[in-house]
Amino acid sequence: MQIDKGKFLILVSSIGLGILISTMMKSNLESYVPVTLLSLEVMQEDLKFINSEVNELKDEFKEKEEELKSIKGLSYSDSTIVDKLNIDLVSSKSISGHMALEGPGIIIKMYDNPEDEIIGQDVNDDVIHDVDVLNILNDLRVAGAEAISINGERVVSSSELKCRGPVIGINGISIGTPFIIRAIGDQKLLMAAVNAPGTYGDALKNIFAIGFEPEVEDDLFIPAYSGNFSFKYAKPKGEGDK
Amino acid sequence: MIFALIGILVGAVIGFLLPYTYNTAYSLYITVAILASLDSVFGGIRSNLENKFDIKVFLSGFFGNSILAAFLAYIGDRLGVPLYFAAIFTFGGRIFDNFASIRRLLLYKTSQYK
Repeated sequence: MQIDKGKFLILVSSIGLGILISTMMKSNLESYVPVTLLSLEVMQEDLKFINSEVNELKDEFKEKEEELKSIKGLSYSDSTIVDKLNIDLVSSKSISGHMALEGPGIIIKMYDNPEDEIIGQDVNDDVIHDVDVLNILNDLRVAGAEAISINGERVVSSSELKCRGPVIGINGISIGTPFIIRAIGDQKLLMAAVNAPGTYGDALKNIFAIGFEPEVEDDLFIPAYSGNFSFKYAKPKGEGDK
Repeated sequence: MIFALIGILVGAVIGFLLPYTYNTAYSLYITVAILASLDSVFGGIRSNLENKFDIKVFLSGFFGNSILAAFLAYIGDRLGVPLYFAAIFTFGGRIFDNFASIRRLLLYKTSQYK
């Protein structure tokens, strides 16, 4: 096949053109699409959102700075530092459970199947176990309960909930049925967490026929934890945030 | 026509195999230059079919047009006026003109268009 000069030149130059084009494609450019009104709006929304976030952070920064300033100022006058420490003490005590609390919440009364007729073949199906109480407790915690007590025993971070034959052990003492669980928190959420269809509480009541009576209560009293936390092995490490 | 297609394909393969890429800042200029050289290749094919092919005209067009187009885009960027539109419309239109002629030349090889 005879190739004339012109065709050869065109071949060579189109090879060069191909190299240019493919190198261009490789560099993954953003396309030069004109800005549409929609994309402009989306961009503006994004910008507004980010700006508000920045402002929030700035406010928080200012707040913290003022807090720091007030703490620094406190060190010179004794009476205000006592006030400040008292406030800290109350909040720490509330968190640890050493302070009695009151507020709106729900009361749950749980007891063994009161009917003469038993449900399953096993009598164990008709009594409350530690796991039943524990599951209700977890449901309440998930629903945002701020303070919980069982039969007058405050549930704290070190509380155990352990089967002891016919009774349940909590905070080192034994409690028997009926178990009365008090929880302070959002009443609707707490109620939904134990009473809505499909929850553990609902199954206890309607399937296992175990006594389960949740009630909304506007003024609940939850006693303080009477025991003491003692750390023999654990040591504080570093300085945590808050 | 076949020569150009084969050439572009071969070149594309070479380009993908080569490890080089452009600086993205120059992408607009390269794009316009690609358009200009594409037009030159189409023009070359057409003149080749018409037996009026001139190496000097082809080479000067291939390089000159690309450089001028890229330069226009660059100047437009400096001035804030999208001058590269001039290159896009001119060469885009000419590519279609050339292609129309090529089509007729290939379709009616023996007719009066030749």
